[in-house]
Amino acid sequence: MKSETRFQLLVPAAALTLSLLAGYAASQPASNTLALPESFASVSDTGARSVAMFTELGKVLTHPRCVNCHPAGDSPRQGEVGHLHQPPVTRGVDGHGSVTMRCPICHQKANFEPGRVPGHPEWHLAPRSMAWEGKTLREICEQIKDPARNGNRKVEELIHHIGEDTLVGWAWAPGFGRQPAPGTQKIAGALVAAWVETGAACPAK
Amino acid sequence: MRPSRREFVKWVTASGIALSLSRLEAAEEPGFWARQTLPGRQGWNPAATGVGRIDGVAKVTGAKLYASDYRAADLPGWPAKTAHAILVRAPDATHVYTGMDLARLTGALKPTVVVTAADLVRAGTRVPEFYAGDLFCPVGRTPIYLGQPVALLLFEEFDAYDQARLKIRDGGFVRFAEETGAVVMPDFGAFRFTRVAGPTPEAPDVYSPVLAGWVSPGKFQNAERPIWTPLAIETGAAYAKAATYGGQIRTELAADNPNLLMLDREFETQSVDPMFLEPETGLAWFDSRREVLELVLGSQSPYEAAEALAYMLGQARSPFKPAAIKNLFAYMGGGFGGRDHTPFPLYVALAGIFLPGRPVRLAQDRYQQFQGGIKRHAFKMRTRIGVDRTTGKISGFAADHVLDGGGLANFSSSVATVAAVAAIGIYDIPKVDVTTVALHSRGVTAGSMRCYGTLQTITALETIIDEAAAALRLDPIEFRRRNALKTGGKTMTGNTYLDSVRTPEILDKLERHPIWQQRAVHKARGQQGGIAVGTGLACTNKNYGTGADCSLGMVEIDPQGRIAIHGDHTDMGNGIGTALANRVAAHLGGVADAVTVHDIESYAPLALVTSGNPYTMNQATQDAAGKNPRWVPEISSATAASNGAHVGTHAAAEAARVIFRFGLWPAALDLWGIAPTHPTARQWEAARWQDGQLVMPGLAPLPLSRIAAKVYARNGVTGAMAHAFSRWGWSRATFPVGGQTNAGQSWTADIDALAVRKGGGKYARIDRSNVKFPPTDNNRIGTVYSAMCATLMRVEIVRASGALRIAKAYSVLECGKALVPDIVLGQAQGGFAMGVGYTLLEHLPPYEGGPGNGEWNLGRYVVARGSDLPLHDLEIEILPPVRPDEPPKGIAEVVVKPVVPALLNAIFDATGRRFQSLPVTQDMLKGALA
Amino acid sequence: MTALTITINGRVVGPVDVRDELTMNDFLREHLGMTGTKFGCGAAQCLSCAIIVDNPDGTSHTSPTCVVSAVSFNGQKVRTVEGHAKNGELSALQKAFVDHFAFQCGYCTAGFLNEAQVLLERLAKTPVARTDLEKAVAEALDGHLCRCTGYIKYHEAVRDVILADAPRYLAKA
Repeated sequence: MKSETRFQLLVPAAALTLSLLAGYAASQPASNTLALPESFASVSDTGARSVAMFTELGKVLTHPRCVNCHPAGDSPRQGEVGHLHQPPVTRGVDGHGSVTMRCPICHQKANFEPGRVPGHPEWHLAPRSMAWEGKTLREICEQIKDPARNGNRKVEELIHHIGEDTLVGWAWAPGFGRQPAPGTQKIAGALVAAWVETGAACPAK
Repeated sequence: MRPSRREFVKWVTASGIALSLSRLEAAEEPGFWARQTLPGRQGWNPAATGVGRIDGVAKVTGAKLYASDYRAADLPGWPAKTAHAILVRAPDATHVYTGMDLARLTGALKPTVVVTAADLVRAGTRVPEFYAGDLFCPVGRTPIYLGQPVALLLFEEFDAYDQARLKIRDGGFVRFAEETGAVVMPDFGAFRFTRVAGPTPEAPDVYSPVLAGWVSPGKFQNAERPIWTPLAIETGAAYAKAATYGGQIRTELAADNPNLLMLDREFETQSVDPMFLEPETGLAWFDSRREVLELVLGSQSPYEAAEALAYMLGQARSPFKPAAIKNLFAYMGGGFGGRDHTPFPLYVALAGIFLPGRPVRLAQDRYQQFQGGIKRHAFKMRTRIGVDRTTGKISGFAADHVLDGGGLANFSSSVATVAAVAAIGIYDIPKVDVTTVALHSRGVTAGSMRCYGTLQTITALETIIDEAAAALRLDPIEFRRRNALKTGGKTMTGNTYLDSVRTPEILDKLERHPIWQQRAVHKARGQQGGIAVGTGLACTNKNYGTGADCSLGMVEIDPQGRIAIHGDHTDMGNGIGTALANRVAAHLGGVADAVTVHDIESYAPLALVTSGNPYTMNQATQDAAGKNPRWVPEISSATAASNGAHVGTHAAAEAARVIFRFGLWPAALDLWGIAPTHPTARQWEAARWQDGQLVMPGLAPLPLSRIAAKVYARNGVTGAMAHAFSRWGWSRATFPVGGQTNAGQSWTADIDALAVRKGGGKYARIDRSNVKFPPTDNNRIGTVYSAMCATLMRVEIVRASGALRIAKAYSVLECGKALVPDIVLGQAQGGFAMGVGYTLLEHLPPYEGGPGNGEWNLGRYVVARGSDLPLHDLEIEILPPVRPDEPPKGIAEVVVKPVVPALLNAIFDATGRRFQSLPVTQDMLKGALA
Repeated sequence: MTALTITINGRVVGPVDVRDELTMNDFLREHLGMTGTKFGCGAAQCLSCAIIVDNPDGTSHTSPTCVVSAVSFNGQKVRTVEGHAKNGELSALQKAFVDHFAFQCGYCTAGFLNEAQVLLERLAKTPVARTDLEKAVAEALDGHLCRCTGYIKYHEAVRDVILADAPRYLAKA
């Protein structure tokens, strides 16, 4: 009997950053909704509004569905508390697995529900430069804005990447046994767009 | 079009697939026992030249061997189509169960039959006492444990079953209402073991369990916990006496005595899963026309399973009661105790009974196996040890054990006692007091698992021993040497060890080993760099046998000298078939090529009867019952407690000896032209087999095939079946085995029942003329036979991450005669891996977060992989037997025991931290080194 | 539903109509009765269910069968444990597993055999140095779980098959 605790995120952004990252392995599940950009209209300062929206987006970026494949090392994580992927696998030369264990052998073009295995045609590990595991929201923010580390993208291209890319979109339809990322991909995309529009500001921490 | 099963089978054969499949005739499936009799006479027998196991070829060619391999179409005489069952389990044990959301299963997905608690009432089934507790939780009750079954869903079509199981796998299919909290039930057993030695080693004990009997504490009315203090009215005089001595021992330990080093430590171990690779599976067909229930099962305790099934259905109402139950027991994909006395076969049978006329398969997936399979007990232990500072001798020991038995009683009471009695390991301690209690909880049921509770207590012991040695600045090996129990010494229960006690030899091996010799050099290397290095050791023993072990065996030789063996012990990987073949070969000169294990039914000619409980009966009862020449204390027992080699091969070996003495030997004499009255005729024990020939000094060697032909020609003994029973000592009986050359000869051996066959005839029972069963007082002993194993370990821990690597390890063991040395070696390697997993990797949280919730699989439960082990740096040494005719001991458990404390002691050496719980994870190590 | 055709151990099976959610493991074990391929965990963690897939380019790889659909193998060529022995003659790996006493309960053995066979075929195309052999074997086999043996004899058996035919599998010194 698990009750989904819904709680309002009333704490300031900075503390939220820490609690979100600490809460990654904590027992209390975070809210599974995502606030629309409109709901930040009351924050009059543009910079602060930008940060607030990025912080909201941070719920998606630091969610297990995303972090598991944006790990710090060479092996993906798995599940809700980020245990090491079992069976043990590594990114290999191209992020698509080692010679003996290629990702697509198990992770096929779509989720396979009888096997509870997630799937997507492009299933693979994000490059090392895009690792988020263990980073603060500020660090992640600076990283995803940096063309040297974000696959040579302009900030505006992140709107498509996060809002429409289908591998990213998998996070909201991950299949049985996995919590979806908060909100919807559409809202996430809208948050990115609004964040970009307001100057793509990064949180202080 | 889909090819028919038969068509497919035909072209599969033609393509040259596995040997066993190639024996298929046009449309005929080999019978179950034909598949299970290995290697079979058509193929290669690797065991004949010692280059492989009896089941070796079958296993590398994917032959049908395991219960999970069988479908109805594989069994001659069965209807061809298999139906499928789901055993629905409750993922909650703190709310009232109200039923299932069957509305999810409509149309094609609707089960043909749903079996619930109400149906069992209607059918009149009974729950065998060992499994006491509702087989299905009734609606309106709170389940007594997480994972308690609530229903069986039976589907005639595989597709319906396959789709239905996806629809019901989330937690919401089984429904609950008000919260009640967990169901409170009495504990499964509580005991106290106290011993006070006499003033000298030779003097009798002042008090001991052997002398006084085993005692249990009383209980407060309506309370769950036992009363350990000796309150005479509630606890009874016998207990009070033990408790009074025990109290004195504790007082002495707690006293402020500057000459006594006293350590008081707590240690906690975790619940783990046997994680055998083949989930429990079975097949049942209730042929309602013949009223016969046929079952294919994999069980370490086939006789017990057969009895439990017969009891469950014994008073069922028509049409739920079979007239006969036919059990087919298959090879198992691992066991480790987790397939010993499990309730699973009962559910397989119920599936069959409730879908009469249709074969039904009940197979657990791994989530379900984690949810419902038997677990290792989690222990909470408090241990106190007192050591005389001057002499370095342990003067007193007290411990308190609390076991979480989970939902069903299963073996909890027994595990508690075995673990308690093993709590002082290899040491000789004159004052010991151990209390133990196994509690019920709403967790998954814990029962028999490799080492049977002693792995937990030995871990607490060997780590506190290490700490004591360090505190006294004594070398850890010297400390162990000083305190080791010697041959003829008395154990914790107060009995004298009969087996070879090889502690000094084993400790010497450890001391001389390079891993131990070089420990300082490697530790220093570690202190300078990014890794911490430590070396640790542990020395352990494990009793083998249960105190009521049975062995049934049948051996036959054909006119060409080919040998067939049947035995009632089981193969879960332990290689009992090969051990049987090798042991019999020593007597008959040839390695069997038709070995049938898990066979509990071929011994009807012995016409055995039994009564009472061999663990609790008194001597007068046993003496009276034994007057019936067909009575034995127990007919067949489980393959457990490392009893495979020692017990499982015993009866077959004895049957082989009878064939030799009364079949082959007289035939050989005949061939040599030696008269039966000639002195040489009495020298059968001097004969030796060499390369398939019988060799006697001064006589021409005779090939087995020639002797066998002669046995048949003169109608000598060509087959024998025997039963044996051991209560820490074998029954011994005399049999008047007649015969042409041996009229009036009697044969005395460590068996209690015998039947022989002459030539191609039928078996005839030979009633024993007298018998000596092991005394019932032996039940107080607890353990008499043991095998030893010690391990040395060097670990390297990366400071920054806590990642641990076992750099080098050495295990040394003794097992009496190794019947198949390669299998003993393999057991030691596998036991090492299991010990590593238990210490560092494996963990099941209790209760709601644990496997009872149905959500656990191997992604979350981590067992040792090759990369976790020192694949090229593990040295195993097997000591030769103390004398050439030393019988085989059982070692399957002892090889796990020293690994765990050796690893912990090595971790202490590397980090300075003594961990008091398992597992010790990478994060914990990182923290210790930070 | 899909009309499925697969070549198994050199023989064409199908076309057979199968549900799209039917796992390859169930197709082999339930529908074809080929139970040499085992079911251990259903989560691609133990690889007792692994079979060999022959790629069009002449290479091969192993695949679990428990977490993937039968139809995903449509048109492919696969090999199972039942196909290793030819005309009753065991393969070198099978013989080595037997004479090294490499397995105990044997339930994981089919998976190990398939993985080792793929390793041999890979080494035959891309030999490794002798000094890298143990590592190559370890990397190939590490995905396979065994609860009985502690892995050592499996590794020794595979290594010894390779060493027995060093010119084929090992790079020239």
